[in-house]
Amino acid sequence: MGVTELLSQYGDKYIQALFTTWKLTALAFAIAFVIGVLVTVMRVSPLKPLRVVGDIYVHIFRNIPGASLLIILVYALPYLNVVWSYFTCVLIAVSLIPAAFCSEYLMAGINTIDIGQIEAARSIGMTFTQVISKVVIPQALRASVLPLTNLLVATMLTTALASQVPLNPRDLTGLVAHINTHAVGGITAFVISAALYCATAVVIGQIGNRIDRKVRILR
Amino acid sequence: MEKQSKPNTPEQTPVIELRHVDKHYGQLHVLKDINLSVKKGEVVVIIGPSGSGKSTLCRTINRMETINSGEILIDGTAIPQEGKELARLRAQVGMVFQSFNLFAHKTILDNVTLGPTDVLHVPKKEAREEAIKLLKRVGVDTQAAKLPAQLSGGQQQRVAIARSLAMHPKAILFDEPTSALDPEMIGEVLDVMTELAKEGMTMVVVTHEMNFARRVADRVIFMDGGAIIEENTPEEFFTHPNTQRAQDFLNSIKNH
Ligand SMILES: Nc1ncnc2c1ncn2[C@@H]1O[C@H](COP(=O)(O)OP(=O)(O)OP(=O)(O)O)[C@@H](O)[C@H]1O
Ligand SMILES: [Mg+2]
Repeated sequence: MGVTELLSQYGDKYIQALFTTWKLTALAFAIAFVIGVLVTVMRVSPLKPLRVVGDIYVHIFRNIPGASLLIILVYALPYLNVVWSYFTCVLIAVSLIPAAFCSEYLMAGINTIDIGQIEAARSIGMTFTQVISKVVIPQALRASVLPLTNLLVATMLTTALASQVPLNPRDLTGLVAHINTHAVGGITAFVISAALYCATAVVIGQIGNRIDRKVRILR
Repeated sequence: MEKQSKPNTPEQTPVIELRHVDKHYGQLHVLKDINLSVKKGEVVVIIGPSGSGKSTLCRTINRMETINSGEILIDGTAIPQEGKELARLRAQVGMVFQSFNLFAHKTILDNVTLGPTDVLHVPKKEAREEAIKLLKRVGVDTQAAKLPAQLSGGQQQRVAIARSLAMHPKAILFDEPTSALDPEMIGEVLDVMTELAKEGMTMVVVTHEMNFARRVADRVIFMDGGAIIEENTPEEFFTHPNTQRAQDFLNSIKNH
C-alpha cells in the first residue's frame, strides 16, 4: 500500500494513535518528573535512610529494561491480586524509568550550584525544606532543561512499549503492528509513524531550546 | 522570641558570647578554648595568619559548624541543636561571605526580599519597599532588576550586606568580605561596613584590611593556631602588641 492509500484508510487511526502516544508521553513525563524531584530531594536530604532509598530507586530503575518492567506489571502483579488496566501498566512502566534519569539530571544540576549559596540560604534562617524548594531545586531545574528535554523525547520513544499489550486506542507503534496484521502496510505504515514521532521530537526540542535560553542562569 | 531573654538586664547581655569553645576536625584542634563576648554595637575585628581558625570561629557563631564542647549564646540564648529553632536563631545573626553567595537565579531585589518574605513572613509589598531602601543605602538600587552575575564583585557584596540587613539581625558576621574583590572595589564595600558600624550595628569582622581595623574596630582579636592569642584595642594592638606572635604577624604583613 502507498502512503495515500494507507492514510485514506487509516488516517483517523493514525491521528488517534498520535494522541495516545502524546497522552502517554505527557502523563509519563509528568509522573517521572514528580517522582524524579522527590527522589532527588531524598538523595540530598540530611537523613541517611532517605538518601539510601533514593539511591536504590535510581540504581534499580536506571538499569531495568522497560520491557521487563512491563512484563512484571502485566503478568506478575496479578499473582499478587493486583490487576491494573493495560494503559496503567504501560504508563507506570514508562514513568518509573525516566524518573530515575530525571533524578540523575537534577543531581547533576545540583552539583553546579555553589555550596556557598546554600550556606547563605541557611544563614538567613531558611529551613532544609526552604533551601531545597527556593534555592536548590529551582537552580537544578534551570541547569537541566536540555537533558530533561532529551528525556521527554526518550520517554516518548519508550511509550512504544505500549505496542506489546492490546491497548485501545493503540499508540503509534501499536497501530503499525495492527495494520500489518490486517493488511500489507509494510514499511510504509511504519514510516508514517516514524515521521509523526520525529515531528513531535523536533517540536519538543525547539521548545526545550527556547526554555533553556530563557531560564539558563548566568554565572 | 523576646520572652526568652531575661527581663531586667537586657542591655548587659552580650549579643554574642562564646564560653570555652573547642572544635576538632578529626585530629586537628581548630578552636582551642575560645572565650569571646561581643556587646551590642561593638565592632570586633579578628585577624590572624591563614589557617588560624578565623573562618571556623565565625561559622560556629551561627552554627554553620558544630562545636565539640563549650557554649555559644546569642543574646543570652544558647544556640539550639538543629531544626526550626536553629533556623530561627540563624535568622538573627547575619553572615557575609568572601564569595558573596548571592542566589544566582534570583534578581537583586529578590535576593534581598527572600529572607523577609519566607523566613520572617513579612508581606511581599512591605518586603519590597524595605529592600529598595536597603539597596539604596548600599548604593545598588539602580541594579534591583538585574541578576547577580550582571553585577561587579563590589556591587554583589553590597547586595549581600543588604540581604543580611533585611533580616534585622542582632549582629552580622563578615568573613573576609573584601578578599575576593578587585582592589578598586574594596573601598566601596568597606565604606558600607564603616557606615554600618557608625550606625551601631554589632559586627564581627574577619579581615586583612588593617586600616579598616584601625579605624573601625572597638577591639582587635588576634588568633593563631586555633587560639585567641591577644585581645586589644586597635591603637594598642597596631602600635605595640602584647605578644611576640602578634608582633611577628604584623611585621610579616607590613613587609608585603
Ligand atoms: N571542613 C574542614 N575539614 C577539615 N579541616 C578543615 C575544614 N575547614 C577548615 N579546616 C582546617 O581548619 C583550620 C582552620 O581553618 P579556617 O578556615 O578557620 O582558617 P582561617 O583562619 O579562616 O584561614 P584563612 O585566612 O586562610 O581563611 C585550617 O587548618 C584548615 O585547614
Ligand atoms: Mg578563612
